[in-house]
Amino acid sequence: MDRNKLVKWLKEPAKMGHKYSLHAVYFCTGCGIIEVPPSITARWDAERFGVIPVATPRQANLFLITGYVSVKTLKAIIRTYEQMPEPKFSVGFGSCPVNGGMYWDSYNTIKHLDKYIPVDGWIAGCMPRPEAIFVAVTHLWTLIDKEMANGYKRYREKYKYYRANQEQLFGKLEWPPLFPVGDKHEELAEKRS
Amino acid sequence: MRIIEIVISPIIAFVIGMFLLGLSRKIMARIHWRYGPPLIQPVIDIVKLFNQTSMSHGNIFNLGVILSLAGSMVVVLFLPIGKLHPLSGSGGLLVILYIMLFGPLGIALSGGEAANPNTSIGISRKLILTLGYELPLILILLAVMTYYRTISIVEIVGAQQEARWSMLSFPLVVPGIAYLLILPAILGERPFELVKAPQEISSGTMVEYGGKYLALATIEHAFSLFVGTALFVNLFLGGSSNPGFFIIKVIVVFIVEVLINAVFPRFRVDQAIKYLWRWPTLVALAGLILVFIIER
Repeated sequence: MDRNKLVKWLKEPAKMGHKYSLHAVYFCTGCGIIEVPPSITARWDAERFGVIPVATPRQANLFLITGYVSVKTLKAIIRTYEQMPEPKFSVGFGSCPVNGGMYWDSYNTIKHLDKYIPVDGWIAGCMPRPEAIFVAVTHLWTLIDKEMANGYKRYREKYKYYRANQEQLFGKLEWPPLFPVGDKHEELAEKRS
Repeated sequence: MRIIEIVISPIIAFVIGMFLLGLSRKIMARIHWRYGPPLIQPVIDIVKLFNQTSMSHGNIFNLGVILSLAGSMVVVLFLPIGKLHPLSGSGGLLVILYIMLFGPLGIALSGGEAANPNTSIGISRKLILTLGYELPLILILLAVMTYYRTISIVEIVGAQQEARWSMLSFPLVVPGIAYLLILPAILGERPFELVKAPQEISSGTMVEYGGKYLALATIEHAFSLFVGTALFVNLFLGGSSNPGFFIIKVIVVFIVEVLINAVFPRFRVDQAIKYLWRWPTLVALAGLILVFIIER
């Protein structure tokens, strides 16, 4: 941890700020949320690394998706992700967001979350222990350092792809596109269907 | 010379305010048996927030935040910090009483533009709470002004340094206790944290702020923390002739405040008003009457 190195702070304050002030919005979709209270309270104390929970997506820059994602909650996840200010990092917590986990044959569960929003990292396991959150945070620091945690950039560049996937699932979406969608959008949607 | 003072005193208030924010998080963590964040964590947060994209909801949304921050910064110019008191010659306590309202009003103005239901609830709570603590605060200030027969806060500090602290002299100890009772409401700390209750109304007035707006709102909070405690130190703990001692007094008062914050749960809105208009107001009124009788 290089939080106390003044030279790095002077050289690139923005990157260091994003690293050591991760304000998390936890999306309680499934059983994964049960691992979050011990990690933010006295036993594991995430606040010493600057990770604190906030109540609204506008103040957050870390998005933890804890547990399986049903089709209905995916809509809320997309809206929450789009409301967060950039740069934003999203982490899938548990096996279920990775590939469906034990809900692999469920008709109503999303198997691949990263088709709908970009995901910067995964924490595998069913359930991962709270320590895994801290391992994920340190990995995220490394990724931010190497500028590889660029999910928000991918979302902006390949927004047509994500929007097409979302529309394929939901039909018509109730909110306008976040970024401009050109003519190629319709071609892509046709190609996928 | 005065221009240098005008520049320096908000900077001191800003540094001390950010330090108080970090200190409160650290002390709260130690009370919870946690290790806690580093003392500079609020500064890290501010650096991050200024480097984020931010979402505006319109012109009033932008201007309200700035109005609130400017209001809190201007109060500092009227408060003596040791011997630094650039603007305190004009108006004294009455001006402070008026400008202290700018902080809540600016946030209310700005949040109203965001049109979020949680913001509306937060604004109504904030204005109700302000109404709640303004009444005892006016009575307290009246008692102090009647006792010293002046509205100038510099003269009040000087009179205390010649004699004794008001907190230790007989009739003024009563309004002093009343000020301690409403201090959590002025700072917006835990028994009166109902304005930004994250668990109930998603941090209330702050719900639509992100990026730079949240950074400005946090700085405003830091200033208001400093102003609330510094007013108490000046009125009742004798101020100081030296900025260093003044800052130590502010920090001690704030630590007492954080300890109260750490152990109390939150009032409901009606309970908060019932409390504020009953006990602190009664004590402050008793203090005013005592001062009036003794001065006769």
